[in-house]
Amino acid sequence: MGMTIVYVVVSLVVCIAYFTAVDHFLMESQGLDYWYLFRK
Amino acid sequence: MGRVAGKKLFSIMALCAMVGLLLLPIAVSLPSLAIGADAPDAVKKEGEAKVEKGRDVYYKTEGIVVGAPAPKTVDGPKDYPRYNFESRVLLWFANQQHLYYGSFVLAVPIFCMVIEFMGMVTKDKAMAKRYDQLAYDFIKISLTAYSITAILGGILIFTFLTLYPAFFGYLSSIFRPVMHIYALMFVAESGTIYIYYYGWDKMKEGFLKWIHVSMSVVLNVIGTLLMMLANSWIGFMMSPAGVDEQGRFLGNIWHVIHTALWNPLNVHRILGNMAFGGGVVAAYAAYKFLASKTDEDRAHYDWMGYIAMALGVAFLIPLPFAGYWLMREVYAYRQQMGITLMGGLLAWLFIIQATMIGILFLSTNYYLWQALGRMRGAEKYQRYIKYLVFVLCVGFLVFITPHTIVMTPAELKAMGGQQHPVLGNYGVMSAKNGGINVIITTTILSFVWYMRGNKVSTVSWSKFGNIFMGIFFGCAYVNIIWLAIYGYYIPANVRVGLSVPQVATTLSCLFFMFALNGFMMKGAKQMGAIEWGKISVRSQYALIMLATAFTWMMGLMGYIRSSVRLFWHVNEIMRDNSPWAYTHTVGFAANMISFNVLFFWFSILFVFWLGSLGVKKAPVEAKAGVPGGAPQPAEGH
Repeated sequence: MGMTIVYVVVSLVVCIAYFTAVDHFLMESQGLDYWYLFRK
Repeated sequence: MGRVAGKKLFSIMALCAMVGLLLLPIAVSLPSLAIGADAPDAVKKEGEAKVEKGRDVYYKTEGIVVGAPAPKTVDGPKDYPRYNFESRVLLWFANQQHLYYGSFVLAVPIFCMVIEFMGMVTKDKAMAKRYDQLAYDFIKISLTAYSITAILGGILIFTFLTLYPAFFGYLSSIFRPVMHIYALMFVAESGTIYIYYYGWDKMKEGFLKWIHVSMSVVLNVIGTLLMMLANSWIGFMMSPAGVDEQGRFLGNIWHVIHTALWNPLNVHRILGNMAFGGGVVAAYAAYKFLASKTDEDRAHYDWMGYIAMALGVAFLIPLPFAGYWLMREVYAYRQQMGITLMGGLLAWLFIIQATMIGILFLSTNYYLWQALGRMRGAEKYQRYIKYLVFVLCVGFLVFITPHTIVMTPAELKAMGGQQHPVLGNYGVMSAKNGGINVIITTTILSFVWYMRGNKVSTVSWSKFGNIFMGIFFGCAYVNIIWLAIYGYYIPANVRVGLSVPQVATTLSCLFFMFALNGFMMKGAKQMGAIEWGKISVRSQYALIMLATAFTWMMGLMGYIRSSVRLFWHVNEIMRDNSPWAYTHTVGFAANMISFNVLFFWFSILFVFWLGSLGVKKAPVEAKAGVPGGAPQPAEGH
């Protein structure tokens, strides 16, 4: 059970970081700001 | 030994001949290509006064005018000779049938190349023979279809020449060298395909087999170039380049070929052709499966149907993204053209297209879930399928929601405006992009389940792998839906960019999860073999549905692409002054597309039937004691 929690946490961290990076950098590559709403 | 060496020599000579044939059109056409460069010199010699310069309508470069202006046609027997029938409908029919068959014969040899190569590199001898037999079955179907493609091409040219002589005269004056290269490449392709087919038995082993596979590469290079050349004509009609505003050729043939829409058209068409070809072969396998009398035949055609479907869907998945790129380029070329397509006159056809795309993915998923039934151990996934059905249905319903609906004034008043207060929110691109990406991601998940259906991973990190895969898919869904919702709260110029990370999310699932699954299933424990042939009959109807939906959608998209020119033969250069220069109603177009689809399927059934005649004959010949004995699968064709 302990290892399962570790696996879930590690997977969540990796996946959230990956998809956030995808969103940020692919918007930036188009000259657009992914964080537009949060900066306003 | 001497015989083998002779065969090798013959094979190398055949391959060299094919490469020579491939290069021949280029060599022959070099002087033609130079026409554009020579002609100005000739004009110069006659005197500088006669040199006239024009500005390229797209590239904005200056060039010396070497062609005549686009003819200004008038409605009459000179420019538009006709029967007592709408000429455009006749041309539509000839064009569509030629395109269906052309797509099929371009796609199937690519499948042959892939499958034959898989057979060569597979270490399992029995499996290698099955792949080889499958590749042979594929090329056998396409051979008859190839002849029909050529006949339909002839009919199409005669239809152009007799019903639209002024337009075709202008187009051929611009594309003269390209058309000659096209014709010569067609000769090269014919030669290659016949040597490839009839040389199958002679070149079935060792080095000769490599030569044989190389021939399929040559064949497909020619086929793809042929398609690209034909695309340059429609690209020119939609987004002309290399001519001035009067339509006069400026001497640079590359500008005429390389128009704004040429590259996206090439990518979109090659993916579309592959998906369509896979669908048609899958339908053929389904038809043979349903007609099979023995378990052995059912097993073979079940397997064939699966391979064809998998290849078709492999190209279907990136197809919406290629379509998106094409639309983006259309908007970049002429915003008005994009608006006519997506938000104006033709917008309702896109709702139909969305419905067809949804049907394609629903059929694929349904087939995969049915296919899980032929694997022992796959029962564990069955209870989750209902959730996938729910997700697919929600994605599908959002994807097909129209922005506005055609209504009577009373209905309009009752609803309080053109947009429905709740459902209208889903009729925008932000929601639709989310919908289609959810559908595609779910299809990828179904594929992953299918690939691991009867297996249990034995790698030491399998638990972590399973958890990671589940969370990756979960996060992908969340990211797609989040981006779709986020799009409602930011300005349009920022929102339009969100589709790129959405697509990247879906593709990440495709590439990373397929790779992860592959690593996890290396040396996996098998719960039982895949019992080919033991699949529900319903699954085969799903394959037929898939193929029919492909065919209908191709007809629809061809019509949309062509209609967007409105009343122009060549956009903004040559006006269509025939009585049929108007856009048909959605109903008429749908009926016409359905007629084309029905005609294609009846005629391709005839092709399938012709193909089956040769197979039936074999045992009779064997009984009569024909030298060589009865043909054996994958050995004697």
